[in-house]
Amino acid sequence: MRERPGDNKMKKIYIQEEYCIGCRLCEIYCQVKHSKSKKIIKAFREEKHDILSRVLVEEIGYNSFAIQCRHCEDAPCVDACISGAMQKNKNTGVVICDGDKCVGCWSCIMVCPYGVIRRDVSSRKVASKCDLCVDEDIPECVKNCPNEALKFVEKDKNKEIQVKTKDGSQKLH
Amino acid sequence: MEVKNYINRTSEITDYAIIGNSAAGLAAAESIRELDKTGKISILSEEDCRNYSKPLITYLMEGTVSLDKIHFKSKNFYRDNNIDIRLNTRVKSIDINKMSLTCGDGGRYRFKKLLISSGGKPIIPEIKAVCTCINNNCKSSKSNSFCSVNSKNYKDIEGIFTLATLSDALKIKNFIKKNNIREVSILGGGLIGLKSAEAFLEMGMSINIIELADRILTATFDEQASGIIEKRIISKGSNIYKNNTIEEIHVTGKKISGCGLKDGRKIECSLLIIAIGVTPDTGFIKNGALKVNRGIVVDKYMRTSAKNIYAAGDVAEARDILLGEKRCIAIWPLAVRQGSVAGINMAGGDKKYNGGFFMNSVEILDIPTISMGMTNITEEKGKNIEILKDFNPGKNTYKKVVIRDKKIIGVIMAGNIERAGIYAGLIQNEIDISSVKDNILREDFGIVNLPVDYKKHLVSGEGIEI
Repeated sequence: MRERPGDNKMKKIYIQEEYCIGCRLCEIYCQVKHSKSKKIIKAFREEKHDILSRVLVEEIGYNSFAIQCRHCEDAPCVDACISGAMQKNKNTGVVICDGDKCVGCWSCIMVCPYGVIRRDVSSRKVASKCDLCVDEDIPECVKNCPNEALKFVEKDKNKEIQVKTKDGSQKLH
Repeated sequence: MEVKNYINRTSEITDYAIIGNSAAGLAAAESIRELDKTGKISILSEEDCRNYSKPLITYLMEGTVSLDKIHFKSKNFYRDNNIDIRLNTRVKSIDINKMSLTCGDGGRYRFKKLLISSGGKPIIPEIKAVCTCINNNCKSSKSNSFCSVNSKNYKDIEGIFTLATLSDALKIKNFIKKNNIREVSILGGGLIGLKSAEAFLEMGMSINIIELADRILTATFDEQASGIIEKRIISKGSNIYKNNTIEEIHVTGKKISGCGLKDGRKIECSLLIIAIGVTPDTGFIKNGALKVNRGIVVDKYMRTSAKNIYAAGDVAEARDILLGEKRCIAIWPLAVRQGSVAGINMAGGDKKYNGGFFMNSVEILDIPTISMGMTNITEEKGKNIEILKDFNPGKNTYKKVVIRDKKIIGVIMAGNIERAGIYAGLIQNEIDISSVKDNILREDFGIVNLPVDYKKHLVSGEGIEI
């Protein structure tokens, strides 16, 4: 996935646990986004078993939340990566795994304290993780959350914080 | 391989000398450069090529990565960071008083700060070589020195390799191709042995593992986990010779033709990998100039016993948080972390190394495994050690968690390694898991099952702000 040129805002998705209703729409739209067809019906009929969701909904009873890569400041997966596939963009803060370089050694899975990197063996063995949908304005999981349980924040180094909500509107905080 | 050497050979004085061009050395160089934009950084490497990832060499051998993708830093890394890289430069000795290095080529370099990140060297055992030429007719040939005597020096016999460097991996790859080898013997069923086994099996070859202990991967697995992997290897037509070692190498002509084992058995083989372990490369530290146990002893700032000299990576003996003492833990993630900490401190920053613990990931014939910490200790009431484990024969998955004083100190996962890092986080952060013990072996164990405060810390992202 290619990042938008000239994009140098720091990005992060915040989890608003108290709003999550466990509907798992984030997982579905994440899978669609990372499918070949990008079409929900086709993706689920033909590719379902090959696409891993990069956001995971965890729930016990009424307690639920969606979690994806936290794009850590001091990312252990980047340190652990033996191939240089896992890289953190210094401008945007986004940690991305380059599937062409990844050898599937699972060192990142071994060290990620959030457990949000997964073993994708659908074709070549590669690590699968959230790429923050860097080619989109707002990540799909945030965009499609019906209850704002995920919040996308972009920080321009010189400006105030911009919070993007699911309808794409921007609020200044 | 293209060799780029950005050398300025006239210079003899450097601000930061770094011995070793791998994980720890380059992480240090990067950290130094972030804090010190102008100081001169010189990296001395005894190898002849731009950085490459040592753990990738088995992947290169099996063909998962090509030669142009074996580098873990970009082509312009040295130029972008203004680093003076000296290849083919083996350090011979260090003078800690004069703060200078002498190299194999006679070159001398003075430094203000030094990082030793020279890594490890494979251990080469002494094994007797025995001539097995028919009628011993080779003895009349003067050119054949291996066969004419029962030499203990087998390193020039064709078909015997260690697997520690890029050049080793390329030689083995070529040897397999040239001689159309379908079967390989591996001396040592430890980490390197198994990592090379992973590659050879991926290449469709059959393997013979010869292991001194009564099971493979003794350092990181327990009996059950070793058993799962051993069974898998054997089911594919390979062999594991346990409680065993190679006593004789049989040589025909100039080539290895087989091995005689301790138990008297003989195996035919035309390719032997020596993988019994590595030892820190400290040969250039002489007359006790630095405190060296197995590795170079360092404090929490990665400082050695001598002023302005630091050590990091496989050569360093740093704190193991589980043992509560210092030891060498030769793994990539810790080398990077230690190198980075050393670099910050060398450049005048203030950063502590919090300690690490051993971990390993190896996938054998589609059974992924991850093990970490102390996995093979026995339950003792007095020592407050408790062991929880679950083996699922249907799915052939195994999970084991070792708990000491309410904290996890060891984990093994085989067959299913999903979310393994959550356990690593629990170990690293020394989290009291007694409130969630009942769920700890769940197949779907996740963040939702964690102790409330730690879960909140992870989910609401406190401390990991952008």
